Amino acid sequence: MTSPSASSRKVLSKIACGRLQKELVEWQVNPPAGFKHKVSDNLQRWVIEVNGAPGTLYANETYQLQVDFPEHYPMEAPQVIFVPPAPLHPHIYSNGHICLAQPLRVFLVQQRPADNDRYVKNCRNGRSPKETRWWFHDDKV
Amino acid sequence: MGNKLGRRRQVVDDKYTRPQGLYQHKDVDHKKLRKLILDSKLAPCYPGDDDCACDLEECPICFLYYPSLNRSRCCTKGICTECFLQMKTPNSTRPTQCPFCKTLNYAVEYRGVKTKEEKGIEQIEEQRVIEAKIRMRQHELQDEEDRMQKRLDTSSSGITVAPGDVEYSSIAGEEIVSSQNSSAAPTLRQPLQPRQNRDDDFDLDLEDIMVMEAIWLSIQEDGKPRHPVYSEAAPSEQYLLEDHHVSAAMAPVAESSSSPSGGLACAIAALAERQQGGGESSSNHSGNIPAYNMLPGCSRFSNREERLTQNYLPSGSSLEVSPDSRQAMTREDREWGVDHISEVAEVGTSYAGSDAAEDAGRNTSFPQEDEVESSFQTGTVPIVPESFEEQMMLAMAVSLAEARARISAPGVAWH
Repeated sequence: MTSPSASSRKVLSKIACGRLQKELVEWQVNPPAGFKHKVSDNLQRWVIEVNGAPGTLYANETYQLQVDFPEHYPMEAPQVIFVPPAPLHPHIYSNGHICLAQPLRVFLVQQRPADNDRYVKNCRNGRSPKETRWWFHDDKV
Repeated sequence: MGNKLGRRRQVVDDKYTRPQGLYQHKDVDHKKLRKLILDSKLAPCYPGDDDCACDLEECPICFLYYPSLNRSRCCTKGICTECFLQMKTPNSTRPTQCPFCKTLNYAVEYRGVKTKEEKGIEQIEEQRVIEAKIRMRQHELQDEEDRMQKRLDTSSSGITVAPGDVEYSSIAGEEIVSSQNSSAAPTLRQPLQPRQNRDDDFDLDLEDIMVMEAIWLSIQEDGKPRHPVYSEAAPSEQYLLEDHHVSAAMAPVAESSSSPSGGLACAIAALAERQQGGGESSSNHSGNIPAYNMLPGCSRFSNREERLTQNYLPSGSSLEVSPDSRQAMTREDREWGVDHISEVAEVGTSYAGSDAAEDAGRNTSFPQEDEVESSFQTGTVPIVPESFEEQMMLAMAVSLAEARARISAPGVAWH
C-alpha cells in the first residue's frame, strides 16, 4: 500500500483538525450519495467506500478511496488514491493513483493507463501522486 | 451601505488588528494589515468561534464563525482575514487564484456586517441550491427506476418482477407523479371515467401500461403495510401453473372460469368492479352463454393473449393490497393462469356454465369472479376485438355499463 507523502505524515495543524472534525460530522449527518466513510480514529486518513455508479461498468462494485490530509489542510490539498485493487480505468493506475490531468469520467472500457507499469515502478517507495506532474492521456478511449 | 462603511475609519480594538494565531503566518506585513483593518478594507481579526452563535458568519476555509467576513470581488464569497492572509500575503505581487471560483487576481473587499437584505438574498440562494440538489437526487432515482424497468422488460420471466416490486415502492417519490406517465395513470386508477378521456391513451403499448401499473401500485402501496409473502409467492405459484399447464390445482376454479381471454382486460374489469360496487352479487349469470358462442372467434388471438397475460400478471396480481384480500387474490391468480391454457377445457366449462340453474348456485360462492368474467365475455360477443387496446376498451366500457346497470336495474341487464 502506498504510504502517505511526507507532508501528511506530520500531525494536523489546529485549524486542519478543527475543520476536519466539522467535515466529518457533516459527512456523518448528511453523507454524499454512494460514498461511505469507514469509521476510524484517524482524522488524518479517511477511508471512503465508493459504490460504482449504477448504469456504468462499475455498477454493483465497491472500491475504497484513501484520503490523506496534509498538516496544512485546507491550505494544502489532500492526497486521494484508491486502495488497491483499484477500479480498472484508463486514468487509474494499478497502485491506486488517479490521473487528474483531465476530468475523471466513466469510460466505455475497463483498462489500465497505457503507461501503467512505468508509472507504478517510478512511484514505488511511497511517492505521492501529488508529486506527479500529470500529462494528458489519450482521451479518446 | 457597504461602501460608505468601507471609507470610514473603523473603531477596532488594537488587538484585533493582528492575526490571532490561527495560522503561523510568515511574511505578513503587520503594519499594512493594521492599516487595512482600521481603514475597513479588511475584516478585523476577531477570534473565530467554534460554534455558530446568533448572527455569526462561517468562514468557508477554516469553518470558524466570525461577526463579519471579507468578500471576494469575483464571487462575493466570504473569507476571514487570517485565511485570506494565507491565500495571499499583503506583500505578494504574484497573482493568486480565488479559492472558490478560480478567478485570477483574487482580491477581497470588506463591507462590514452583512445587512438583512444580503442575508435574505443569501438565504434564497441557499434554498435554491437545496432545491436543485433535491431535484438532482430525484432525477438520479428516476434514472435508476427507468433502468430497472428496462431490465425488467428485457427479461421476460415474471419472477424478476417480484423483487422489483419492492424496489419501486422504495423509490416512489413525488417525481413519479409528475412523470410523463401521469397522464395515462388515471386510466388505470379510475376506469369509470367517461370514455372520451381514455381514448387518447390507447396509443400506449403494453410496456407503457406495465410501467404505469407498476408506478401506480408503488404509489398506492407506499402508504400501506406491505405483504412480502404475498407479492413473492403469488406470482411464482402462478408461473408454475402456466409453465406446466397443470390443471389439477385449479380444477375447482377452472369450472367457473371460462373467460377465454382474461389477462389484463379481465384485471381491469375486475378493478372497475371493485371500485364501483364492492362485492354485491347480482344475477348476471347468463353471461356465460355468450361466452360459449364467442369461442370460435377468439381463438385467433388467444396466443397473443397468453403473452400479454404472462407479461402483465405479476403486476396484476398486486392489484389488491388490503390485508384481507390475500386469499381472494391467490384464487384469482389461479383463475387468470388458467384462462389461456386450453381451448378445449374452456369450451367444456363454459358450456356447462350455460346452465342457468347451476350458474345461479355458483354465483353465490364466487360472485366477483363470475361478474368479472361475464362482463368481459358479454362485451366481446357482438364485436370481436381486433387488438389488445380494443379489448381493454371494451372491458372497461362493459364493466362501466354493467356497474351502472346493476345500480339502476339489478338482475335484468344482461338477459
